[in-house]
Amino acid sequence: MKPERGTFSGVAERAAPALVVIAVLLGWELLVRWHGIAPIYLPAPSSIATYLFRMIANGSIEFNLGVTLLRIFAGFAVAAITGVTLGVLMGMSRMVARIADPWIAALYPLPKIALIPLLVIWLGTGEVYKIVISAITAFFPIVISTYAGIRQTDQGLIKAARDLGANRRQIQMKIVIPAAIPSIFAGLHLGMGVTIILVVAAEMIGSSSQSGMGFLLIQAGQVMETEKVFASLIVLAVVGALVIKLQEWIDRKVAPWTAYRDEH
Amino acid sequence: MDVTVEDVTQVWPGRRGVDVVALDRFSHRFASRRFSCLLGPSGCGKSTLVQIVGGIETASSGRVRITDPAHREMVRPLGADSVMVWQNLNLFPWRSVLDNVAFGLEMQGISKTERHERSRTLLASVGLRGFEGHLPGQLSGGMRQRVALARALILERPIMLMDEPFGALDAQTKIVMQEELLRVFDETKKTIIFVTHAIEEAILLGDEVIVMTARPGRIKEVLPVDLPRPRSLEMVNSKAFGSLFDRAFHLIREEVMTSMAQQTMALETR
Ligand SMILES: Nc1ncnc2c1ncn2[C@@H]1O[C@H](COP(=O)(O)OP(=O)(O)O)[C@@H](O)[C@H]1O
Ligand SMILES: [Mg+2]
Repeated sequence: MKPERGTFSGVAERAAPALVVIAVLLGWELLVRWHGIAPIYLPAPSSIATYLFRMIANGSIEFNLGVTLLRIFAGFAVAAITGVTLGVLMGMSRMVARIADPWIAALYPLPKIALIPLLVIWLGTGEVYKIVISAITAFFPIVISTYAGIRQTDQGLIKAARDLGANRRQIQMKIVIPAAIPSIFAGLHLGMGVTIILVVAAEMIGSSSQSGMGFLLIQAGQVMETEKVFASLIVLAVVGALVIKLQEWIDRKVAPWTAYRDEH
Repeated sequence: MDVTVEDVTQVWPGRRGVDVVALDRFSHRFASRRFSCLLGPSGCGKSTLVQIVGGIETASSGRVRITDPAHREMVRPLGADSVMVWQNLNLFPWRSVLDNVAFGLEMQGISKTERHERSRTLLASVGLRGFEGHLPGQLSGGMRQRVALARALILERPIMLMDEPFGALDAQTKIVMQEELLRVFDETKKTIIFVTHAIEEAILLGDEVIVMTARPGRIKEVLPVDLPRPRSLEMVNSKAFGSLFDRAFHLIREEVMTSMAQQTMALETR
């Protein structure tokens, strides 16, 4: 239900989420101060904010966030290109689907973090390792969604296209692939989500790079700078949300018809 | 183009290995430049028949011959001379109205300028000027129906197959679309095979009404409609229309009862 504009309950409904956030922060601040909780366990929001500004001022957030984002986009790009390509090929050729299916079925359920020791042995602990682990993880949801999207093309649209004179190739290029785009995008969203997780995890575990938000987190944690831990978490949460919003914006630009799909 | 359907039987593989006989030795000659309406209860095989005629599905047995009345000996390949307007439209949701209409021309490799030019003209003639850039999902039901009609008309194929095209429209929009179709028919004189389960619609539009039996679909009776053309909606009130309606109603009533009994049985045995 949409809140009505102007009415008191409408205004209240709009303002409520922000008020709750403010109330929680205020409660947190007072709790820490009154009970004198040690900042190692739970720093006050005000001191987290101070640390956050300090980290921005000395450039450590910008640098580490930049490095992490680069790794995320590199891993995601590799996964997106390979995943969409293989998914489309599987959808177009039964042969490719038959060959790829058992591999996907076997590797998909494997928790990809379990591959970290092996990848470290093979690739060392540098950039390649972090990109590969995130790309492998993101690859599976992307390939599976793409393949499903291609396979589930509305048969009515295919028949209509054929009736209007489209040949096999034209049906694949002009009907099957565009029809799969919403499903491909869904896969890319899932892929982006796991890429973020895996890059940060790889920065925390066995990375030699000494950079990135994951590294910042683990370093702050080891020396009990809990304020820094919280500040990094806030940055990660905000940036993650922004990346997802950006993706949704791109979806709407590239595939505006998905907004009307249900009325079709 | 004449469409001669000879002994067409269609058996669909049904659930749990029980085959469904959709059509049983259906034979009829749909004469060139005539408007034929197929009237029958739901599930009697009307869609199946038009899809076989359009070369979209292949019949289990029997054959369909498309011939030019001027060259009867030359049988044309199935599907080459016909185009379908689908019950659920099957518009391409990611294509603009203009590119939906231009689709058939695009498949033929006609240049963008030319196909857009022709689509624009046709869209204007069905009252959709100014909506070229819209997506199908942004249009009302009646407007979408016009897009589907234009997408079929642009190919200028002599046979038009229409599968309950106005079934989903509200009463007013349906009337407007029926008038639109009558105008198209009078102007282009295509061979039209029009599927419907609405008796009034069948009589108003058709030169003949082919009443089908409940599944397996056979011809129960062919009613010639000798109302003059151009047709208009006022004819619904004429005496001739009334008696045709009574006749068709009487014929279809029995079949609808049978069809409903079949559906009840299918539900009970599930
Ligand atoms: N592609 C198909 N596969 C299996 N059964 C089908 C298929 N198309 C139609 N049928 C069945 O054939 C019968 C006739 O269907 P249809 O031709 O759609 O009837 P109508 O258009 O007259 O309502 C129905 O029982 C339907 O379930
Ligand atoms: Mg039907």
